[in-house]
Amino acid sequence: MLDYAEPVTKLIDEFKRLPGIGHKSAQRLAFHVLKAPQEETDRLIEAIREVKEKIVFCSTCNNLTDVDPCRYCSGHSRDRSVICVVEEPYNLVAIEKTREYHGLYHVLHGALSPIRGIGPEELRIKNLLERLRPNESGESSVKEIILATNPNTEGEATANYLARLLKPLGFRITRIAMGLPVGSDLEYADEVTMHKALANRHEI
Amino acid sequence: MHLQRIEATSFRNLTGSVEFSSGLNVVYGANAQGKSSWLEAIYLLATTKSFRTSHPKEAIRHDANEAILRGTVARGNLTKDLQLLITESAKQAFVNGKREAVARYLGNLNAIAFTADEMQIVRGAPESRRRFLDRGIFFTLPSYLGALNEYNRVLKQKNALLREASDSDDPAKYFDLIQPWNDQLVALGSEIHAARVNYVNELRAHLNPGLFQAEEIAIRYKSSLEGRGDLGDYANLLKERLSLRLKNEIAVGYSLVGPHRDDLEILCDSYEISRFGSSGQQRSALLILDLAQMSVYYQVFEEYPIFLIDDLDAELDRTRIEILLDHLDGRSQTIVSTSKRTIAERYRHRARTLLVESGRAVEDEVLMKEGNAI
Repeated sequence: MLDYAEPVTKLIDEFKRLPGIGHKSAQRLAFHVLKAPQEETDRLIEAIREVKEKIVFCSTCNNLTDVDPCRYCSGHSRDRSVICVVEEPYNLVAIEKTREYHGLYHVLHGALSPIRGIGPEELRIKNLLERLRPNESGESSVKEIILATNPNTEGEATANYLARLLKPLGFRITRIAMGLPVGSDLEYADEVTMHKALANRHEI
Repeated sequence: MHLQRIEATSFRNLTGSVEFSSGLNVVYGANAQGKSSWLEAIYLLATTKSFRTSHPKEAIRHDANEAILRGTVARGNLTKDLQLLITESAKQAFVNGKREAVARYLGNLNAIAFTADEMQIVRGAPESRRRFLDRGIFFTLPSYLGALNEYNRVLKQKNALLREASDSDDPAKYFDLIQPWNDQLVALGSEIHAARVNYVNELRAHLNPGLFQAEEIAIRYKSSLEGRGDLGDYANLLKERLSLRLKNEIAVGYSLVGPHRDDLEILCDSYEISRFGSSGQQRSALLILDLAQMSVYYQVFEEYPIFLIDDLDAELDRTRIEILLDHLDGRSQTIVSTSKRTIAERYRHRARTLLVESGRAVEDEVLMKEGNAI
């Protein structure tokens, strides 16, 4: 016999599929939904339906968008000579929040990870190459590509792979720096970050 | 640094608490009473790892959900309370009653253990010798653990690719895919190689080669790239070897080149000790290495880690025990376990001696006061 009536079990099982949700959290969410007023659950159902219907991937940069091409790709004030490559759409948001980067983006939707069977084919690299293709006059508007994949082994491998691929094409390839978080104290830095910050010190 | 007191709750068959002196402590008693468990508890409290099992949850008593170890560590005039909570699924560390990340918890109490398993260092495969070096290095160089973990993670990813490539009809198409992982192996591998070479030099400088016998113990870091080129320019050599052996790596389906294939060479009168040494020579060599590790530690921190010896008499003969305990006297807090009452009696004049029965450790003096004959 099931612990709960079938519809409840089904809901718990569906919640469990979500990232970061274990059995207990799934149970809590399911019971929240059960107790919630009808309007609230309707809003949730509608929000999920709407996001699946209206949100698409930008055909240029693969970012999440409700118009294609997305607002960054079609924006007139954006600097078209720089493309910043990130792993996920939320990485893009993190960079955009600075309001200091005005170039274009490219979202890979992942990083190389042979263990998980993710190779270059599984990442959105093909349409990055298309974006870089020179126009009729033999020139590409892009001059620099910033590799802003995550500072872990998978992100690093992805950055190395792209650098090897793109550098021979004559672009300036840069990698975001790794080091201390600004506004915090040195004492909060872990040893590895501190080690990298010391190794990458610069003269002032 | 010394451990003043430890208390165990629901940990194996242990009950109550034990107080230690800052010098020599002899824990004795019949077999299966809990001597080794007390030492294991101390080692766990210090390192969050057990020297008996890789699954510390096995140490939780059967009728309990969690085990708790509590200890008081003294450094000079400072004391700190350490606590380790072991549950089915996790370990939680506390310092002075406050939860701490394990990385910050470590270092409050450092211990070196001489146990039967550790004999693998002088007897077994290179892996245990690399582990001995790595452990010693991250005592003194905290960022090393990060580099080592990252190296292993990259290696795993690369091995997954190599396996795939060796099954493939067109292995050549994997060359470009493997390259980014090799780039990282070069950077991290060079860091690991440099740290290990440096640490072995430090160990050698503190080696007391003839402490236990006439034969001299010598050590050397033996890179797997030896004889393949200029080790002085390790990064370039590693890069070269990685590209040269790529096809072989694909053929076998796993990684063949890098510091994960290196070894620590331990020689006894210029013979390799793991192959030609007697078991007495091997024990002496291991002790000499442990003591050198302690000295290097002292050089960095100006204090000694605590030294644990499980089953003292099973591992060492009387002469070696005497030389060792004399050497440690005045340096390191030493806690040994033995099944022989005679050893406890021999050292009673200069040691705290504790009798362990059914998991409880009682000081000899207390026993005497209570009128129990010893």
